[in-house]
Amino acid sequence: MLAAADSCTLAGLDVRSVEVQADIAHGQTKFLLVGLAATSVKEARERVRSAIKNSGLEFPGQRLTVNLAPAEVRKEGSRLDLPIAVSIALARAGKMPPPNTAFLGELALDGGVRHVDGVLVAALGLRRLGYERIFVPAADATEAALVDGLVVTPCENLRAVVNHLLGVEAIEPHVSTGAAADLEGEPSEHDLVEVHGQEEGRRALEVAAAGGHHLLLSGPPGAGKTMLARCLPGILPPLELEEALEVAQVRSLLGELPGRHPLAWARPFRAPHHGVSAAGLIGGGSGLAQPGEISRSHHGVLFLDELAEFQAPVLQALRQPLETGRVSITRSGGSVTYPARFTLVAATNPCPCGWAGDPVRSCRCTPGAIATYQRRLSGPLLDRIDLKVGVRRVKLETLASEPTGEGSAPVRERVIAARARQLARQGCLNAQLKPSRLRQLAGLETASRRVLERWAEQRGLTARGFHRAWRVARTSADLDGAEQIGERHILEALGFRLQDVAA
Amino acid sequence: MIEPADLRTRGRWPPPEGPRVAIVGSRRPSPYGEAVAEQLAADLARAGVIVVSGLALGIDAAAHRGALVGGGVTVAVMGTGVDMVYPAAHGKLAEEIVAAGGALVSQFPDGTAPRRHNFPARNWTMAALCDAVVVVEAAEGSGALITAEAALELHKEVLAVPGSVFSPLSVGTHQLIRDGAGLVQNARDVLAALGATQEVLDDPLAPPRALGFGPSPGPDGILAHLSDVLPLSAAEIARKLQLPVAEVLGRLTSLELDGAVRRHHDGYVRALRSGPRRA
Repeated sequence: MLAAADSCTLAGLDVRSVEVQADIAHGQTKFLLVGLAATSVKEARERVRSAIKNSGLEFPGQRLTVNLAPAEVRKEGSRLDLPIAVSIALARAGKMPPPNTAFLGELALDGGVRHVDGVLVAALGLRRLGYERIFVPAADATEAALVDGLVVTPCENLRAVVNHLLGVEAIEPHVSTGAAADLEGEPSEHDLVEVHGQEEGRRALEVAAAGGHHLLLSGPPGAGKTMLARCLPGILPPLELEEALEVAQVRSLLGELPGRHPLAWARPFRAPHHGVSAAGLIGGGSGLAQPGEISRSHHGVLFLDELAEFQAPVLQALRQPLETGRVSITRSGGSVTYPARFTLVAATNPCPCGWAGDPVRSCRCTPGAIATYQRRLSGPLLDRIDLKVGVRRVKLETLASEPTGEGSAPVRERVIAARARQLARQGCLNAQLKPSRLRQLAGLETASRRVLERWAEQRGLTARGFHRAWRVARTSADLDGAEQIGERHILEALGFRLQDVAA
Repeated sequence: MIEPADLRTRGRWPPPEGPRVAIVGSRRPSPYGEAVAEQLAADLARAGVIVVSGLALGIDAAAHRGALVGGGVTVAVMGTGVDMVYPAAHGKLAEEIVAAGGALVSQFPDGTAPRRHNFPARNWTMAALCDAVVVVEAAEGSGALITAEAALELHKEVLAVPGSVFSPLSVGTHQLIRDGAGLVQNARDVLAALGATQEVLDDPLAPPRALGFGPSPGPDGILAHLSDVLPLSAAEIARKLQLPVAEVLGRLTSLELDGAVRRHHDGYVRALRSGPRRA
C-alpha cells in the first residue's frame, strides 16, 4: 500500500516542494525514514508513532518505509511531522490525498498539531509552485491566509485531519479576514514634536527618509541622537503590501509573527546592542543561517548606537548588504540569501568620553585617543553613509520651553510626496540610483556641477563620495518639488558631509 | 642648563641670524587658538623672526605650519631623539621644516622614545634657545606654562595671547597676563617686545592688521552672526536668522567653499584667513 502527501522545506526564503511517500509492505515491524533528513526530521518518527496511536488510529505493524523526495535536498525542522503522519494514514486507508495540496505542521505526542516557524514563507512559496490548498497548524492559519489564492485548512489535531481526508467530517477552510482589514496601522511611538531644537538633525532625518539615505549622527551623550533615530520610522510611509509581506516572511522564519495580526504596516526599527556578533547582525547559526538584525530591519531602520564600540569585523560585514540590499550567507547546511534593504542610522560620540567640542563640559581624552576613535569610524563604512551631521546638546531653556518644531505627520507628508516623485521618475529611491542612471536622470546645471567639483577638489572626495553628495542633492530637490537640481540643493547636500571636515 | 653644544640636530643649525620667538600652547586648542598661532607665526616669519616650537599637536604644529607659510625658518625643539618624530603624524611636517632651512633639535640622545618626564626638560631648553615666548591658549597646568616659567627664570620675554573668557584654554594665558606677561594681539606686539621694531617692521606688516578680523560681514547676514571663536551650529544660526535650516546649511557650505567660514566638528566659525584650509 502506497500513499503520498506533499510538503516543503525552506532554505532561507527559498521553498522547495517535498513529496512524502509512505509504503506499507509485508515484513518485520520497522519504521524506516529515508531521504536526507536532518536530525530534527528523524526525530519525527517517534512523534509520528505516538501521535498516530494517541489519536486513536492504528499504527501499521508491518514494514513501513517513509521516503522524503527529492532525496538530494536536505530537510530540516519539524514541519514534516504532519505530512508524514498523513501519508501513513492514507497508505493504510489506501487513499491518495486531494491534488495540489500541501501539509505543514509539527505533531505533539497526543496528536495535536503545533505551530511551526516560516508558515508564511512556505505558503507563498507553495503558491508560486502551483499549490492551491494547504493544511497548516490552526495557530498559523491567519499567517498562511495572507497569501492570495490559497485555500487554508486549519489543523487542530491529526484525527480531524485524517477524518477530513477520508471524508468522515470536513474541516471548514480558514476564512481570511483580508489583509486590508488592519490597514490603519498604529501611530509611531515617537513623534518629532518631542524633539526640541535640533533643526539640523531633523532636516537630515527628513532627507534620509525621503531618499532612503543612510545617516550618521555625531554628538555628545544626551544630545538626543537616539531620540532622533527613533523618530525615523514615524516619518517613513507605511509599508506597501508587497513590502509588508517581505517583512513578515523574515519574522515568520524566526517564529516572531504575532498570531492574530501577522501583517504589520509600521516599518521595522531594530537597535542591536554594540556587543552584537557578526552572526547576530548579518545572520548566521549552524546548519542553515538564520536571518540577522539587518534582515529584520528590511524595509525599515537599523539603528547602531555607539558605532565605534561595535567590533570592526562586524561593521565590515555590513558593507555588502549596504551596497546590494541583500545578504548571502553560507553555512554547513548550504547558502541562503536574505533581503536586507534598510536605512542605517548610526550614532557616535565625537570621542571616547563623548564631550569633545562641547561648549560647556571639557573633554578628557588624549588627542591620540580621539584620533584612534575617529579612525575606527572612518574608511569604507563611513564612505557608504550619505548624511553625516553633528548633533549638539540642546540648552536647558530650550528643553523646558514648549516644543516649537513640527510633528511627524507633516514631515511624513513631504517624505511621501518626495518618494512618489522618485518612484515615478526612476522606479527606485535616490539612494539606490546607480551612477550611470544618476547622470542620465539627475543632470546637473553648470553652476551646480561647478560647486560640486570645487568641493570634491578641495576636500579630496572619492568618486563614491561625489556620487553620494549628488544623490542627496537629488533628494533635496525632490523635497523641494524641483525638476532640476539647483545650486542650493548641492550646497545643502555638501552641508551634510561632516566627514569631509578636517578634524 | 643645556649648552647649545650638547644638542643633537637635524637640518641647518645654528639657524640664520635673527630674533627667535617660541610659540607654544595647548595640544588641543580651539579653532581660534590654532588660527592665531598660525597667523602669528606666518607674520613673524615674514618679519624675519625664527619661530621656535615643540612639534607637538595643536598650537605647536600650527606655529610651525604658519612659519612655513610665511616663508620663514622654523626650529622644532623635540622631547625625543631627533631621529624619531613624535607624534608620528608630524613626520611630513618635520621634513618640511628641515627642507625649508629650519632644524630639528633635541637635548636627548638619538633613539630616545617619548617619555612624559622628558618634556618639561625640553620646555626649558626651548625657553633657553629663544628670545621670547608667546603662549597661545594654555589650560591650567599646561606644559606651555612650564616654558613660560622657564623663560622668566632665564630672563626672556614672556607674552600671551588673550582668549575667550568662557574657554578653559584661556585660564593659563590670562593668568600670565595678570602676572605681567605682555599681551599679544598681533605680530607687531611681539616685535615691539623684542625691541627690534624699527628695522623689521617696515614692510611686511604695514599697514598694521589686527588678528581676529575676518572678511567683512557683507550683505549675506550669516557672517555677521558667526563668531570667530565659538562654533555655532547651522541650527542655531537658522534660529537667529529665522530661516529654514536647509537654506542656512546651503549658504554656509557656499561660504565654506569660498573659505570665509570654517566648519569644525561642532559647528561653524568665521575663518580668520581667506583661502581654504590646508588639508
